[in-house]
Amino acid sequence: MVDPNAYKQAKSNNFWHNMWKHRAHLLMALPAFLILLLFSYVPMTGLIMAFKKFNYADGIWKSPFNGIDNFKFLISSKDIFIRMTKNTFMYYLIFTILGTFLNVVVAIAIDQLAFKKLGKTLQSIMIVPIFISYAAVQFIVYALLSQESGLINQTFGTATRWYMEPKYWPMILTIVKMWNSVGYGSVLYMSVLAGIDQEQYEAAQIDGANKWQQICHITIPSLVPMITIMLLLSVGGIMRSDTGLFYQVTRNSGVLYDTTQVIDSYVLGQILKSSNFGFTAAATLFQSVVGTGLIIIANGVVRKLHPENALF
Amino acid sequence: MAKNDDDLRMSGVKSKKGVGQYILSVILLIYTAFCALPIILVFIAAFTDEMELATTGFTYFPKKWSMTGMNAVLKYGKQLFTSYGVTILITVSGTLLGLLVMSLYAYSTSRRDFRLRGFLSIFAMIPMLFSGGTLSCYVIYTNMYGLKDSLILLIVPMCVTTMNLIILRTYIQTSVPEELMDSARIDGAGEWKTFFGIVLPLMKPALAAVGFMMATAYWNEWQNALLYISSANKKPLQLLLVNIQKSIEMLLNSTNIPSAALSAMQGNIPQYSSTMATVVVVIGPIIILYPFFQKYFAKGLTMGSVKG
Repeated sequence: MVDPNAYKQAKSNNFWHNMWKHRAHLLMALPAFLILLLFSYVPMTGLIMAFKKFNYADGIWKSPFNGIDNFKFLISSKDIFIRMTKNTFMYYLIFTILGTFLNVVVAIAIDQLAFKKLGKTLQSIMIVPIFISYAAVQFIVYALLSQESGLINQTFGTATRWYMEPKYWPMILTIVKMWNSVGYGSVLYMSVLAGIDQEQYEAAQIDGANKWQQICHITIPSLVPMITIMLLLSVGGIMRSDTGLFYQVTRNSGVLYDTTQVIDSYVLGQILKSSNFGFTAAATLFQSVVGTGLIIIANGVVRKLHPENALF
Repeated sequence: MAKNDDDLRMSGVKSKKGVGQYILSVILLIYTAFCALPIILVFIAAFTDEMELATTGFTYFPKKWSMTGMNAVLKYGKQLFTSYGVTILITVSGTLLGLLVMSLYAYSTSRRDFRLRGFLSIFAMIPMLFSGGTLSCYVIYTNMYGLKDSLILLIVPMCVTTMNLIILRTYIQTSVPEELMDSARIDGAGEWKTFFGIVLPLMKPALAAVGFMMATAYWNEWQNALLYISSANKKPLQLLLVNIQKSIEMLLNSTNIPSAALSAMQGNIPQYSSTMATVVVVIGPIIILYPFFQKYFAKGLTMGSVKG
């Protein structure tokens, strides 16, 4: 099959011949193909709800169209819409910038550590939080922040009502998110660092570069392609959030919505209340289109600057 | 990091253990403590005396230890065992199903002269870029497919993901020698036999890495359960945790204790400690299993970053 003549021959044969020859491969691809089709592609058509007055009895196809009424509604209740879009975007920015920065710092710190065994052990522990679901994390946060019995108030002798004060939550959610993801995120960068040729460091030392200069001129540049790819991948999720973080950790408390409600947690709440599907569908369509648009733009930019790092 | 400069200047690469190294160690130790301490608190709270939790709050150094929380969970928690079974079922079947269908798909899209290869690759890529979102999925699954309160919804939609497909395909392309497959074919093995006999066994490291990430995702999944599952005997563990947040009575309720008896014993339910004991029981297995799979991690993650 790798013989170039056979390859050419196969290519010159017609398409159906090729299909017949690869009937086993067709069959192999079929199960995953069907799963993607039924559980990813067909649901995309559900976005048409944004233009419909949905009701359960008629179902998604027979429900009547209502033009752009849902979007008018979306714009008229702009406070909620703007609030959740702003929160979604703000948290995306904080989490991505701070997260990437901390991932890289932790990765370099562990890589530079001369006590290799200690570094490995510490890293293993740092990764653990990612394996704890937000449904469980919310209890951990509660143990720390509960007003009467929480560890924070106990330790500092304060009586802060954390769950009543929206202003604290951007900080709390950022800390929880970093706690959850930085250890895991740094693994990726560590594996890149492990691949750096040690001779580069030795050569730099001979040239008189100190540790700090070595990090700036060898370590960080070698991480740039990975950082680009990770940022690019994350751009597609700009309008999506870690629903668990915003829905579970905040206990979906209405008092905190000002700083904690994001599009995803709003949508989840609306489905569970099974109300207002038109509005929700319009918000969802907005979310999907903006997300996809941004990843295409970001990919285009990267393609211009560093074609080898582009996603597609 | 800047503090290390002087100590390490002119020293061998990562060889001399100067003062800077000790400072770095301490900083990393502090960060590690920040990661571990909240989890430890929950484990301690699960075994702390309920009265102490109620009066003086959560502490790392309880004066009185107690098994009441854990006992309450084990005694009243018939639901807990059911949920454990459901979660294990979902995790195992979802992970195995996903690994099988994704490996097959990855293998077939790695065949170079297969003309649908390009189409199938793009087909798998698009869901990462564009998705219908939670609401569309909800309406399509429940209204169009008529699936409600069905474990299928917890297993199948999550089992094929673009990222994992890319990891597996990259692994086949880079680490499974084409010559081996060819020699198997020359020996008369069909494609299926080549796949199951040669390719799949050689994919073990990739399968372990992807499999553990999938298993974790399944174990921790709560959103689909919250949306789709209503009957008690299909509730996974995470949904149980979500319910407990609303009220711990739910856990007791589902074991068929009459509501009158329940309200009578309300005061005696070890609320904090048994909630934390439940959390411990839910997150325990992942934390115990994690070290065994850890070595595959870096490898799996790195493979994923190679674009397909």
